[in-house]
Amino acid sequence: MLLLLAFQVLILNHVQISGYGTPLVFACMILYMPMGSVRTGILLWGFCTGMLVDIFSNTPGVASGSMTFAALIQQPLLRLTVPRDAPENIEPSMQNMGTGNFVRYAMLLMLFHHLVYYGLESFSLYHMTDAVLLMLTSWVSSVLLALLLEAFRRKN
Amino acid sequence: MRELLDRISQNVHWVVFLLLEVLSGFLLFKFNHYQGSVWFTQANTVAGKVLEWEAKGLQYMNLGKENAYLVRQNTLLQHNLNVLRHELAGLKGDTSVTQRYHIDLLKDVEMIPAQVISNSVRQRDNLITINVGSDDGVQPEMGVVSGTGVVGIVSKVTPHYSLVLSVLNSRSSISCRLRGTEYFGYMKWNGGNPLQVSMDDVPRHAKPRIGDIVETSGFSSLFPPGIFLGRVAQIHNSGDGLAYSLEIQMGTDIAHVQNVCVLKYNMKEELDSLRRQ
Repeated sequence: MLLLLAFQVLILNHVQISGYGTPLVFACMILYMPMGSVRTGILLWGFCTGMLVDIFSNTPGVASGSMTFAALIQQPLLRLTVPRDAPENIEPSMQNMGTGNFVRYAMLLMLFHHLVYYGLESFSLYHMTDAVLLMLTSWVSSVLLALLLEAFRRKN
Repeated sequence: MRELLDRISQNVHWVVFLLLEVLSGFLLFKFNHYQGSVWFTQANTVAGKVLEWEAKGLQYMNLGKENAYLVRQNTLLQHNLNVLRHELAGLKGDTSVTQRYHIDLLKDVEMIPAQVISNSVRQRDNLITINVGSDDGVQPEMGVVSGTGVVGIVSKVTPHYSLVLSVLNSRSSISCRLRGTEYFGYMKWNGGNPLQVSMDDVPRHAKPRIGDIVETSGFSSLFPPGIFLGRVAQIHNSGDGLAYSLEIQMGTDIAHVQNVCVLKYNMKEELDSLRRQ
């Protein structure tokens, strides 16, 4: 988990997809919370990891706010995308949910996280189109990276 | 009663959610005005150390580029030296009062060398973290320059690190003028290209031309006069049509800056107190 954060602040923070978005994989920190986890716990965990990212990227409040929001909707989203016959405490992964379901789940969670993140960040941004483009490139790259990480995680 | 308590315990996550969001909102909006918030940035010791290691590793990869900058800067200085020698020869024994004033002013500037350990150019408000702090004599409101021009202004300081308000920040505005004339204006960044800034309110009779050099004016007590900022790239009419708004090609590529100097003005307090009177 610490490795993931280090990966984010030391490497990904310097990456720009053709001058636009930066992949934000730290949303993965709450992606794997099993169904039925204590929601207050997820919220606090999300906030703390967001805070760490904030400290390292000089964006006070932005990552922690968006992570808290993502933490709030993680359980409902998981319930929405998980197959009906799944066990009550299923842990989200490609193997447990099926690839399609997991991709949908990750995309949705990431989308909301990015919406809030760039919403908070661009409070003072003049160019709205730029902000949207930034968000989209960042979202696509984050989802791809998260799926790559997931595939890698399954192998181990 | 029991039912009510159950209800509350079932929905406690909403309360936690709201609390945490309010906390992040507080950080987001108060950061710029609240001095203590420096601890929530890269300037705190732990984050600073980690980023310093990273910067040290990355510096090796950029040595070539940095060298090219230095060579270019050296040539420029050599050239300037020649020009000045020439002028001095012509003026021997007749140094004008203003020139003496400028030379005196430069004498009082102490340079504190520093290294950039973290930097950004793609946000609306960009900040730079450097590896010197109050222990090295750095204080807020000091100017920061690199070999190729102005970089920013120190905004927050911890014992070993400082947070610098980059030129590429909506809140920074640097007093500047066209070299050779005394017409001055303020340099602003409007977002977008990190190599392009603008200088507004240049009077029409200043007759700016494309390629003119823009330098610091020395009106603020942050930078001595004559530090290179960039060159005029385009000339536009200002909104009211009474003045020009100049687009300036920055002399410093903030994205690649690594070695900087903090300018410590020994006369700053004197100047500031004079201004307050």
